[in-house]
Amino acid sequence: MRYITYVLDHLRKDLRLEWRSRDSINGMLFFVLLMVVVFSIAFDPAGYPTVTRQISGGILWVGLLFASMTALNQSWTREQRNQVLEAQRMAPSPASALFVGKAIANMLFVLAVEAVLAPIFVVFFNLHVLGNAWLLALILPLGTWALVVNGTFFAALGLRARNRELLLPLILLPLSLPAVLMMVQATTGVLTGELDPIYIRSWITQLAGYDIIYTAVCILLFETVLNAE
Amino acid sequence: MTWQTFFDFSTMAHRHLVFVYGGVIATQLVYLGWIARNWNRTSGR
Amino acid sequence: MARSSTLRNISWLWLAATLAVLVVGFRQAIFVAPMEETMGNLQRIFYYHLAHAILSLIFPYVNVAASLAYLYWRHRDPLKALGADALAVASAEVTVLYAGICLATGVLWGKPAWGIWWTWDARLTTELILWLLYVSYLLLRRFSPSGQTGVLSAVLAVFAAIDVPIVFMSIRWWRTQHPAPVFGPEGGGIDPAMAPAVLWNLAGWAMWGIFLIGFRFALERRRQIAEQEAALLALEASLETPQ
Repeated sequence: MRYITYVLDHLRKDLRLEWRSRDSINGMLFFVLLMVVVFSIAFDPAGYPTVTRQISGGILWVGLLFASMTALNQSWTREQRNQVLEAQRMAPSPASALFVGKAIANMLFVLAVEAVLAPIFVVFFNLHVLGNAWLLALILPLGTWALVVNGTFFAALGLRARNRELLLPLILLPLSLPAVLMMVQATTGVLTGELDPIYIRSWITQLAGYDIIYTAVCILLFETVLNAE
Repeated sequence: MTWQTFFDFSTMAHRHLVFVYGGVIATQLVYLGWIARNWNRTSGR
Repeated sequence: MARSSTLRNISWLWLAATLAVLVVGFRQAIFVAPMEETMGNLQRIFYYHLAHAILSLIFPYVNVAASLAYLYWRHRDPLKALGADALAVASAEVTVLYAGICLATGVLWGKPAWGIWWTWDARLTTELILWLLYVSYLLLRRFSPSGQTGVLSAVLAVFAAIDVPIVFMSIRWWRTQHPAPVFGPEGGGIDPAMAPAVLWNLAGWAMWGIFLIGFRFALERRRQIAEQEAALLALEASLETPQ
């Protein structure tokens, strides 16, 4: 159980750092609000209420995908200042604990953004959920974890690369496509109520499977990436 | 098809076919040429 | 290297054999294979398209194997690891080439044959994502700092290998709920009269792909050796500087 202690230590560190400056969260919140506005101008929710409900799942996740990418690069750059990353490499704790701690921290930040975003969405898109709204409480965290776990890993991968900000979406987007499909289908199924519950459940199961597989792979390979030099 | 009909480019379908075959072969040759050019540029034993 | 003249001879022989098979394949596809009823001669694009499609699904496995070998040998046997890395980049580039040609020929065949340029069904989308993943692999290699290229790209290759089957299965599941038009023959169903054309072209393009991978591998090894020699020179020069 020492592992969990390490993870919690890293998590506390990231939360504390973020709380002091609140850079990432503020940036993400404003970005996501702006995306909602841009999408509203682009798709005119008032004029096409049925279509809006059908695409709002997609818009939500696209907005979150891009918003989380703005925060992910930043989460690792704070480790580069003051040679903190070298210290992490030399520390006896397993490297994957650093990764898991940071991924959970990022997850909490994005969930906080989602909590603010959901009411804004409902307001600007005049949404009322036609299906079982409680399922969203399951889909949102699962989907967010899928984005955050891969995002945190590949932000670390590209840490020393040139064009780091450009590299992250180029690598992350193709890999996340199946997860995006699963989360959008599940969310749209719940919002429109048009999808059979058995299908919604299958999408949620697939999303959970994706999460488990990629979390395992990221944990196994993180040490390799951290010690890449 | 025969050689005569192969060079009969009057139908769009046939032009299309030759264009695609030519395009595939050309693309492959471009890649081969790129490797060859870099081979000459890299000094080696 | 004493082996180099044997290797060179084998390479030239292989190239000659490949070109011969490709010419036979061309003749089979254009002149010998029967014309298809609905699409006419346009259907002959299929012989090149199918060969490239099948091979674009095989070469990525070469890349994954080479990447895993690199990660395994990285600390145990650096020389073998360099070779594995060279093979990984060679097979990745050829995968991008073949997948790109598969997509382009598919689009150019699809529009006249079925009236639509593209459809987001399981096969096409998986092929597109495969292409995107390997382009991102090559971009990562280009943008990564020089010491880390091998490791980082090998890690990405592992992710890509896991992702492709997941993409295929999830999109196929999606399409059972929301059907969309499908390109090409469903499942089997190739007229036996067309089989020789399919097989000759498959063999020809496979041999060509192996030739390209071999040539690109040799180029990469050449570059690695040149880099090592330059590094050695720099090291020796620094040692000669009077202290």
